[in-house]
Amino acid sequence: MGKKSMWSLSFSTPVLVLIPAAVGINYVGKLFAQLLKLPLWLDSIGTIIASMLSGPIVGAVSGAINNIIYGLTMDPISFVYALTSIAIGLVVGIMAYRGRITTLWRAIVVGLVVAIVSALVSTPLNVMFWGGQTGNVWGDALYAYCIAHNIPVWLSSFFDEIVVDIPDKVATVVIAFVIFVSLPKRLIQMYEGEETLERLD
Amino acid sequence: MARALSLYVETNTFLQKLDPMVKLLYILLSILLPFLILPYRVVGLTFILISCLLLLYGKVFKKVLPLLGFSFLILISIVIIQGLFMQSNRTPAFTIDGLTFYKEGLLYAWTLCIRVLDVLLAFALLVLTTRPSDLIQSLVKRGLSPRFGYVLSSALQIIPQMMSEVGSIMDAQRSRGLETEGNLWTRLKAFVPLIGPVVMSSLLETRERAMALEVRGFSAIGKKTFLFDTEMTLLDKILEWVLGILLLISIIVRIVWL
Repeated sequence: MGKKSMWSLSFSTPVLVLIPAAVGINYVGKLFAQLLKLPLWLDSIGTIIASMLSGPIVGAVSGAINNIIYGLTMDPISFVYALTSIAIGLVVGIMAYRGRITTLWRAIVVGLVVAIVSALVSTPLNVMFWGGQTGNVWGDALYAYCIAHNIPVWLSSFFDEIVVDIPDKVATVVIAFVIFVSLPKRLIQMYEGEETLERLD
Repeated sequence: MARALSLYVETNTFLQKLDPMVKLLYILLSILLPFLILPYRVVGLTFILISCLLLLYGKVFKKVLPLLGFSFLILISIVIIQGLFMQSNRTPAFTIDGLTFYKEGLLYAWTLCIRVLDVLLAFALLVLTTRPSDLIQSLVKRGLSPRFGYVLSSALQIIPQMMSEVGSIMDAQRSRGLETEGNLWTRLKAFVPLIGPVVMSSLLETRERAMALEVRGFSAIGKKTFLFDTEMTLLDKILEWVLGILLLISIIVRIVWL
């Protein structure tokens, strides 16, 4: 039996329960990163695993719901950045479906692409809300240096975001990849649509 | 049993009883109106004032301050960076320790402060005075698929459960000799053994959760009913119409004028 289409909009029950788990993993990742005092956010591991397991649409929905929940429970500004999370879910989902993230190298490449896309989506939001800043000390220092040297705001803001995003997103995708390859086959098959859950109606 | 995650404060004022849709409309208005009706800063400040008064009335004003914390730090750095370095800076405003702040940059930073506070306070109004489950139920009543309603409320329950495992996993791995302190590389290496168990157990659980849901008729065809049936009051309906019409008028005014 072939794989389901990448853009399938039908959400089976296993997929629907995957989404809250993905959001939970995002939260836990962020918490561990804080506990270990890592200079990274690592707050989209769940979204990326969900995209790897069941494609771009599910990844995008997980990303959006992640930011809605985060906005409702932690920081209201997070609602606005749902766009970035959606983009991350889509990119990883498409790349995982097309190319199969099978080696560490590919995971790093995907991480770089994710970093660029997420910076491209975040930059207009950063410019609109924060005049281009990100709130990260290193990124903002670079931003201040750039605009003091007459580099356009948009470009400065993009640099600000990307210097933070590259290490963070590469680490995130690599961690998600390491976890993904150690998942039991049975679980992966459940999301590839090769095994359908028996329904009682 | 871990409590569901929420910022909701139970103070039993009129705001808590208000239909969540009215508050959502208010957020939409406070984001869009400053853009639609010029001058931006005046409209933005008006909304900030209205939000503050409503938050005070709802007895949740104190709870807003922690929410502002992070944004506040960035806003301060925005005032400094834009005040000093913005490219259109021409007119010096004042000088501290040889650093000259410019009027243009400070004015721009002031606009940004208004924009952020406007959005943040409007959302705070929703988040602090609405039980997440009420918001979800209200969305489902307006046509959101009940299956997605379940996804949202399930996430709110799962997160505290998963967070509560964090401490015990950290202790368990440490007792096996995992280094969680030291240089950056050591700490980074500790990340996978720490998050791995949470991810595995939560993903394996999805299978059982899916089966448990199916057994209870999750995919059953037919109209779903609500456990707690709430009716919109007349006031809710009136407010919804007023806010909706206000939005419509300002969009029309904007289109006609420009």
